[in-house]
Amino acid sequence: MSDAAVPKQKDMSEPMLGALLLLPAVLLLLLVVVYPIGTLFWTSLHSVDNANPQAGEQWVGIANYLRAFDDDRFWHATLQTVIYIVVTVPGALVVGLGLALLANQPFRIQWPVRLSLLLPWALPLVFAGLIFRWFFEYQTGIVNDLLARIGVEPLGWLSDPTLATIAICIAIIWKASSFMALMLLAGLQTIPKSLYEAAEVDGASKWQQFVEITLPMLRPSIFVALIFRTITAIQTFDIPYAMTGGGPGDATETLAMYIHKSTLDFLDFGYGSALAALMFLFSMVATSGYLRYTRRSSGRGAEE
Amino acid sequence: MSEVTLNHVAKSFGPVNVIKGIDLQIKSGEFVVFVGPSGCGKSTLLRMIAGLESITSGKISIGGTIVNDLPPRLRDIAMVFQDYALYPHKSVFENMAFGLRLRKLPEHEIQTRVNNAAGILQINHLFERKPRELSGGQRQRVAMGRAIVRQPKAFLFDEPLSNLDALLRSEMRVEIKKLHHRLGNTIIYVTHDQVEAMTLADRIVVLQEGNLVQYDTPDGIYNRPAAKFVAGFTGSPPMNFAPCRIGEGGRVLHVAGGVDLPVPARCVDECARHIGREVIFGLRPEHIGVPTVDAPGIERIDGSVLLVEPLGAETLGLIKLGKHDKAAEVTGRFEPDARLQVGQNLPIALDLNHFHLFDCKTGLAIRGNGW
Repeated sequence: MSDAAVPKQKDMSEPMLGALLLLPAVLLLLLVVVYPIGTLFWTSLHSVDNANPQAGEQWVGIANYLRAFDDDRFWHATLQTVIYIVVTVPGALVVGLGLALLANQPFRIQWPVRLSLLLPWALPLVFAGLIFRWFFEYQTGIVNDLLARIGVEPLGWLSDPTLATIAICIAIIWKASSFMALMLLAGLQTIPKSLYEAAEVDGASKWQQFVEITLPMLRPSIFVALIFRTITAIQTFDIPYAMTGGGPGDATETLAMYIHKSTLDFLDFGYGSALAALMFLFSMVATSGYLRYTRRSSGRGAEE
Repeated sequence: MSEVTLNHVAKSFGPVNVIKGIDLQIKSGEFVVFVGPSGCGKSTLLRMIAGLESITSGKISIGGTIVNDLPPRLRDIAMVFQDYALYPHKSVFENMAFGLRLRKLPEHEIQTRVNNAAGILQINHLFERKPRELSGGQRQRVAMGRAIVRQPKAFLFDEPLSNLDALLRSEMRVEIKKLHHRLGNTIIYVTHDQVEAMTLADRIVVLQEGNLVQYDTPDGIYNRPAAKFVAGFTGSPPMNFAPCRIGEGGRVLHVAGGVDLPVPARCVDECARHIGREVIFGLRPEHIGVPTVDAPGIERIDGSVLLVEPLGAETLGLIKLGKHDKAAEVTGRFEPDARLQVGQNLPIALDLNHFHLFDCKTGLAIRGNGW
């Protein structure tokens, strides 16, 4: 490029153009991410009780947070959420890995396999919740019908706290494993076929190939899938909402459901915001934990 | 004993026959190269020997054992893949040791074998590295090391050098040849590169569309090609071809473009049997040049230079033979001193002692005794 042709444009172009191009994205992020989160924290430090609007908005400091620590229902909802995470994240991983391995087989006709993988993922969460609610109905559900055929008394799936938790976990695993499977399938398809052939010539059985090739090669995909699944598991709402509405009592209520209830049913915006802020904190801790682990393990790989 | 024998081996994918009944005997310790253009079935044939592809019909035996129904791990072979297929998450040492660990060899034996192989290939210093930290040539060595430690009956190489740049390729070619001298194992090596085939092989298998066209030594492949396909595939630049008709009792070749060439005396009898037949005349570029000495079988003819390609050690010239408009164009090898100029007219010597004839329809060579 000759200096005479475009002397001035070049001065501004690089950094200025960069900033200019970034601006729309930054503005959008400020508007839809930073501003709402800021408002959330601000609100959580106030008493905003819309059931009693005359009281107005008052600064209460961390009172809402202190209230949460004394709130048994908050702790119960948190525990319940942790149960869903601990059960459904590994559960969906195992089922999803199985599905992905199945879908990765060279089927003559691929589309039924792909479709059955995609369908649960494409289904809205509430639909999945409703479907499983019908499955687990006491009198008309298919689960109790099947149990009756093998001579088991009908179980009150949705009215017993433990059984309801189990039923919800099954529904979540069913719904979540298809997304897991899609992510892991993408990972599986990046593993070169020649690695399996080399291992076969080297003398590895199918199981040894799985342990020595597939699992280590799939590790990055598994991590990404786990992060995504954990974050969504922290926010579990739709499926228990559709299946039990948090019942019996508030036995199956998750943190997200309690936040929803506090703000929209009890209209206690200040307290609801504090709970939401706490959930946001949990998400951040979980995610950064995962990220730190992946960074450390990939760093170790590079050193070797 | 580690000879490899193929007995009418065929493979089809549905209605498509990719390997059409191949018989082949590879002696113990022999270095055999499968060569042919892409799609000729050479890799498929190698993978059938490895057990990575099924066999539709026929028999394959390795070291006297029929291996048709044996999985790769029981065939006692080791393979080097085109993309090396190194395990990315394992160190160089563990890549090489993997096959031995699976076979539950004692640790000290594994150490010895891996160290020996690494010594031969000069990769001891890389033991702790991961494959992604290696250069292309180093990966290649590790892949070969992984094969060597297994001490198999046969090594199978599937286009192992095609991912390397030209300089490294010729370097590794020498390494592989040295390795064969040192270990003496049977090697089956697939390539599409005729130079690799010629330089490495004890014997070459030329494949075309799933058929074995010729199985011969490099010398035989080059100097006595069984078909026009083989002749056109070997040598760089490859053999010159021109349509031609045999006349005058087998004594003259009427080459297209109005050039008549005398047939050397020893070939007249055979040529006489093909009088009037449409055949193809073939002559390698090294037998076309500037006239130096007069000798029997060397024919002088007027030519003009159409194109000059200096290569340094030699110069390639595209020459029009004779004055005719539709005269045959041939490539010849010239000394750089010849100082060819485009448009220049000059006498050209054709060494007809080395000419070839091929049947127009079948492409098979026409050759009498003693050619």
